[in-house]
Order: sequence, then structure tokens, then C-alpha cells
Amino acid sequence: MPASPNTRLLLRNDEAWPTGHDATLVVVFLRGGADTLSLLPPYGDDRYFRSRPTLAVPPPGRGNRSAIRLDDHYGLHPDMAALEPAYRDGRLAFVQGVGIDNTSGSHFECQDQMEHGSSPTTAPVSGGWLGRFLRTIDGGQLGPLPAVAIGKSLPESLRGGPAASVLERLDEVAVQASATDLPLITQTLASLYGAEQNPLGRQGLQTLDLFRRVASLPPTTATTRRTATYPDNAFAAGLRQIAELIRAGIGLRVACLDLPGWDTHFFQGATDGQQAALVDRLAKGLAAFETDMSSCRQRVTVLVTTEFGRRVYENASQGTDHGRGFAAMLLGNGVAGGQVHGRWPLEEITDPTPSGPGGLGIERDARGLFAEVLQHVFAADMAALHQVFPGLQSQQTGLFRPSPSKS
Amino acid sequence: MRASRRHVVQASLATGAVALTGCDGLVTELGRHLGEDVPPQLLAATGETIDPDFHLLSRATYGPRPGDLARLRRQGRTAWLEDQLHPERIDDTACDIRAERFESLAFAPGDAYAFPRPVLREELVRHTLLRAIYSRRQLFELLVGFWSDHLNIDLGKGDCVFLKPTDDRTVIRQHALGRFADLMKASATSPAMLVYLDNAANKVRPGRDDRPNENYARELLELHTLGVDGGYTQRDVTEAARCLSGWTFDASRVFATNQNRAFFRAEWHDDGEKLVLDQRIPAGGGPHDLDRLVEIACSHPSTARHIARKLCHRFVSPAPSPGLVESTAKVFTQHDGQIRPVLRHIFGTAEFADSRGLLLKRPLRFVVSALRAVAANTHARPPLLDTLRRLGQPLFEHPSPDGYSDDEAAWLGTLLWRWNLAITLAAGRLPTVTMPLEQIDVSLAASAASRSSPPKHAAAGADMNDGFIRWFAHLIGRQPTGDEQQSFAPLLPAASRHEHTMLLGMILASPAFQRH
Repeated sequence: MPASPNTRLLLRNDEAWPTGHDATLVVVFLRGGADTLSLLPPYGDDRYFRSRPTLAVPPPGRGNRSAIRLDDHYGLHPDMAALEPAYRDGRLAFVQGVGIDNTSGSHFECQDQMEHGSSPTTAPVSGGWLGRFLRTIDGGQLGPLPAVAIGKSLPESLRGGPAASVLERLDEVAVQASATDLPLITQTLASLYGAEQNPLGRQGLQTLDLFRRVASLPPTTATTRRTATYPDNAFAAGLRQIAELIRAGIGLRVACLDLPGWDTHFFQGATDGQQAALVDRLAKGLAAFETDMSSCRQRVTVLVTTEFGRRVYENASQGTDHGRGFAAMLLGNGVAGGQVHGRWPLEEITDPTPSGPGGLGIERDARGLFAEVLQHVFAADMAALHQVFPGLQSQQTGLFRPSPSKS
Repeated sequence: MRASRRHVVQASLATGAVALTGCDGLVTELGRHLGEDVPPQLLAATGETIDPDFHLLSRATYGPRPGDLARLRRQGRTAWLEDQLHPERIDDTACDIRAERFESLAFAPGDAYAFPRPVLREELVRHTLLRAIYSRRQLFELLVGFWSDHLNIDLGKGDCVFLKPTDDRTVIRQHALGRFADLMKASATSPAMLVYLDNAANKVRPGRDDRPNENYARELLELHTLGVDGGYTQRDVTEAARCLSGWTFDASRVFATNQNRAFFRAEWHDDGEKLVLDQRIPAGGGPHDLDRLVEIACSHPSTARHIARKLCHRFVSPAPSPGLVESTAKVFTQHDGQIRPVLRHIFGTAEFADSRGLLLKRPLRFVVSALRAVAANTHARPPLLDTLRRLGQPLFEHPSPDGYSDDEAAWLGTLLWRWNLAITLAAGRLPTVTMPLEQIDVSLAASAASRSSPPKHAAAGADMNDGFIRWFAHLIGRQPTGDEQQSFAPLLPAASRHEHTMLLGMILASPAFQRH
């Protein structure tokens, strides 16, 4: 039976905060440039309705497909309903006006720049920001599976990181032998690697331990998992795999998952249609994941980002074109939730040349957001942040609640 | 214009080799006829420690193939090494038929843009992998790998994927066993390197407030020549950048007349006098400033030590003695940076001979040595490339200029995937890879039958054990230790084919096979 909001607050403050070892960051990337103006409609600003005659989400109170009222200014898309409790309870925050200084409007370029965590104005970087962050951690402290990407390929953000694995399904983390052969094979490997008194031997035993832990997780079904109900789609399945890995306690620090399909140039739809379907998928998946993780000791934080937002106005095909600023999402127990961080009204970028496509203004560089996330989720220090984002003056902007003093 | 060039190249290649029709099966047949087969008798090592000839093979090649040990015994180590140091003496037709099939790699940068990025990337990796597995010029391929790491190019940066094939051909493969300074000059004017380390944007224009772009200059000194502790200063980096200014590559395909090559832009060059590493370069040198800079950097004593240390780390042990590094550096200097004498020296030292089993195989070597040891037949299709990626060494994707690491710690995190490769390869379940296991069995047994004395560790049930010991010796170069025999004992006797492949898989997955 879920605790009342007040007792939950109490419980949270009493829990020991992580030193970074038992924390996991899940990065959900909405590929295609997500129209976060639809996810988080600023119904209090009349320009929203004037710019989007057909695409605007109806303001709160106009029937059951209208925006869910958050405050006087913002609402939630009705298909974000599954995440409303998290917002009310202060575990979900939006960060308005995030973006990168890339005016190309190109998916490829903007995804790369964001995932590399680079900028044309600072020193060149190598690989991805998550890969660089993992490299700042002493190798001896990382288990055999510190980072995972669910999908078919390694995202750019994890490039250059040690032992980042790409998995489609959890059962890939297994020794590929039949059930009858497996005991003999694991026994032989344990004997061989156990006899080695050196890093190779130790890593071998740790790997066998990883495999044992994953193998001993009870099989899951889509419908019931404690109090979590995961919908039946690839995104939710990916989140479920991540939850399994976290519960296995193998020291997973970073998990990456994509939700593609947000490039809605044509017939985007307001409260129904292609984008609404994605919003529903996103919200229900994250809500199930969050419930699943609520009883887990591991501190889990989810960051939802996209390569750019979309234009404020709708185009002639009742869709939206590539924009600039967007609202990122942060979900987790340590998040300063129940609010939208960042200013409104944001200046709209309308000058088409030479800065490229118009859209919402950018108040916060994505690297700054990522740096603050690393600082709070992993207690990353300034030296590490400097290595991950050279040239960036990172700041604390209150996206996370301050840690209580450690007991 | 591009279309007709492609047709010309295609036609000439087609008349030259049947392989270009794309028929893997035909290529395999031809390879067999050209001597890729398993010999009827296979020599296996009988000692408790790694056989010295086996050791030379496992360091100077990507791993012994069936028959290599016997050939080396017959020829003798010195003569064998001399051949390897002169690859042009070695006929490599069988490998060429397998590996020289990739159209996209034949083109200069301007024309390479005609190919999609994923095609170029895949063909470059497949070519490299196939040559590593099948070339008879193994030491050459190892040096190609060494220099590709040393002069790292990341295909993911900018246009590098279109430029690296040319770099591979005209820089790395051209100079891999040649003179270090020549390699460096070629690299410094390679479009791939100019783009990768931003020298293409290094301009100092008169009357402007341009600062030279120091990225390449720094890596040239820090990574490619003197090394991070080599004793250069920030001032040297700036001066070096001034020398390099003006060398560029024009990636614009439509308007450039210099698409294919790097060229020198006089109006972007800082032509004043420079002082680099205490040597004065007079004003007015123009494009020759680059040559002067390279010669100065390459002849600095720290460079000899830096290259020597890296070669010793790659070919000898994780911690080569200062004495070995010094003696190697001396040979480097005495021979004006020629690589052949340096290698000859390294392989001839007592420290090399004593370094058996000390190095951890990086993923590429692990995969290739396994495939070579079982005389696998493959055309390096995506399933094999996925394996390399899983293991962490997808080739040409290292994101920083220091190249894929030689440190053991960097590669230990992917053991699970190594074990899975070992198990699936041995079971014949690795897609697009086949191997003649029975043939090797027969050849190993034939060799044992002709020996008068049994192998040293004849335990109870020696007949059953013999097969295991022969395979172990074939793969590892020595007899199994008592501990190892104990670990493998539950898998013996490996009577059925299934048990046999399980045993083979476990030898390939064992710590002993992770080392060389």
C-alpha cells in the first residue's frame, strides 16, 4: 500500500544518500527532436494557442482530453497522466529552455554534438560524455558491466567508455551454452580463473559472479512485476531490462535507452495522433519503471533528453519543424521535482539567418544540465567534470534537492 | 566522370582476380589451392614452458596457423624473421584474393566521397581483419596495426571515414617497415590526419589576429614523437604549429581542384623564423618547414626512447626493462629510425626470449589468433565484426588520438564475450565462420604417432588425455600445468564430438589462451 505523500517525504530524508557507488543514471533519448511544448503545454501563455490553431493541447477544464493542470502556467499533456503522481510527489521535474549551440537543424549533427558533449567554442573532446565520465572512475572500482545500452548499437554518448555493452535482451548477459553444459563450463572457468592470482583471474571470477547474479533473477512477465505493470512495447521492455540489471546489484552505473519517432513534421496530432501515442508510451513506461524501482535500494535517476525542440508555430501540414530549446525531464528521488525549472516566457528565436531554425530560446546548455546531473547522481567532483566537459563553468542550479548530512 | 573511373577499376580488377565476382565459396576454393590447407602432420610443442619457436610465432605473427611451427623449425628463426622483415619476398596471393576485394578502398579521398560512410567503414575493417588473419606477411600486418594505433584516426570524426582508406594505403602500409621520419612526413600531410587533428584549419594569415591551431602540433610532439615526458615545452608546441600552418586539405567536393591530396596554402603559412626544440628554422621555408619540423622531432633522443618503449611494450612485455628500452632506442638512432633493424634487435634479445606468456591479447589478437589456430575459413562478414565490437576493439573507432591502449586493464572488462566467442567458435556456431576441426585432429594425431616417446605429462588414462594435451599444446605452445590438467579433468574423456568442441572452447576461453 503506497505511503501517503507526507510519510514518503519523511522516509526519503532519512535514507542514506549514495556516495556514488550505488547510484544509477538512466538516459532516455527521444530521437527525432521531441516537441516538448506538447508534453508540457504552457497553457497560460496565449501565444501558444495563437501559434498552434490545430496542434495546441486544450487548456485544463475543457473535457477529459485537455491539459492536466500543474500550475497557473503549465499543464501536462493528457497522455502524461501516468507521470502526474510523480510530479505531485516531487519526484519529476521539467527543465525548460535546454539546448545546444548548433544551428544546423540536422538530427545527425545535433545528436552527435549533444552526445559527445562538445561545443565548437571549447576544446575538442573525444567520445561521448558518459564514456568520458566513466573513464574518470578508477577501473578497479567498476564492475564488469558498468554501462549498458539497450538496443542494437552503442550510442555516441557512451563511446570511449570502458566495457560499455550493447544488449537487446538481458539473457545476452550469459555464457552461451546449453542448460546441460552450463554447470560444467562455469565450473571449468571458475577453476581456471580461480587458479590465477592476478587481475585476469580476478576479472574472470567477477565475470562469473555477474553471470550468476543475472541468471538467478526470476523470469519476468510483461504483466506483473511487484506493483509495476509494464506496457507491452519495446521501450517498456527496455526499461524492464534495465530494472532487472539494477536489481541484480552488479554495479550498473549508466544505462541508455532510445525512444525514436519524434520527428513530427506532418500531422503531429494534439491529444491524439502519432505524437500522442509516443507521449503515452513514454509516460507509462517511465511510470512503470519508477514504481518498479521504488523499493530498490539503488538510487535511480532518469534523464530524458532530445536533440532539439520544435518550432513554436505549426506548419502547413499540421506538424512542427525542427526547433531549438526544449524541456528536459528529470525523474528520481533526489530530484527537486513538482516544478518546472527555467524561465518563461522564453524569447522565441525567430530570426532565420544566420542562426538557423527558429524555436524556443535556450537558457541552459545541455552540457550544463548533464554536468549538474553527474554532480548530484554520482557526486562527481570538479576535476572529473572538467575532464568530461572541458571549458564548462558548471553550476548548481537547484535541479536536485540538497543532500542531508551523511549519518 | 566518377562513374567511368569506377568501371575502369572494376574491369581491371575483375580480369585480375575471380574473387571480385563476390563469390565467397570460389575464393575459399582458390585459397585452398594456394596453400591455406591444413598439412597432414602437425608439430605440437612438448615442453613445460612455451616453445621458443612458438613464442616467436605468437609475437611476430597474429598467432600460429597449423603448419607454421614446422615451417619455422625447418627454416630457423633467423631466416624466418628475415623473410618477415622483407615481406616483398613472400608471396601473398591467397590473402590478396580474400582481402583485396573492396572497391571503396581503392579510391583517393575525392572519389571516396561517392561511397556511403557505413560501406567505407565496413570495408576498411573487413580488409584489415582479413589481412590480419590470412596474410603470410604477418610481421608487416602487425606493424601496420601498431602504426595505426600510434597514428590513430577515428572514423567517426568529420570526414575521416572518407580519408582513412588513403591514409591506410599511402601512409601506414607504405612505411610500416620503413623509416620512421618518412612515416611521420607522410602522416603529417595525410588528409585524414590533417582533418582528424585539425591542422587543415591551422592558418596564420598576414594582417589578421590568427593564432595557429595547436592541436596537431601538440599531438605530434606528445603522442607521435617525443612522448609526454619527452622534454618539449609549450613554446615548442606553438612554434611547431607555426611550422605546420598552411598545410590543409579541401574537403569541398564541388569547387576544389585539390580534392585528392593535402596541399600547402602559402597565404595561410607563418613564414617567419622558428625555434623548435632548440633548433632554428630560418624564415622563408614555406612548405619545407613541415619537413624540417618532422626531422627535428624524429631525431630528438626522446623520440627514439618513446618509440622504443612502445615497441617493447607491444612486442615484449607490459614492463620492459630500462636496459631493453635503451638498447632499442640506440638501435633506432644508429639506423636513422629504420624500423627493420629495431625489430631485429628486439626479437634477438634475451628479455624477449624470457617474456613468454607475459602479454595479454587485445581483442583483435584474441579473435585472430583463435581463427588462425583452427585454420578458420571466414570472409569477415558482420557477425565477426560484431564480435570485435562486443570485445571493445571495433577498429578505427578509438575516440582519442592515443589509439587503442596497450594496457591490460583496458581490455579485461569483456571476458564474458571472449568466452562466448570461444564456445561458439569451437561448436561451429559462429555465423559465417567454418573450420576443419577433424583435419587438425587427424594431423595432430599423425604427428604424435610418429614420435617415439610419449609427452611428458602422461597421467592415468593417457590415451584419452593425449588428444587434450595435443590440442592444448597446439593452441598454447606448451604442455598444460598440473593445475590446468585438474581444471580440465571433468571435461575428459572428450569422446563425443560435442564434448570435443566443449573442450576446445574451454581451452580457447582459458587464461592461458588470453595471453601470448
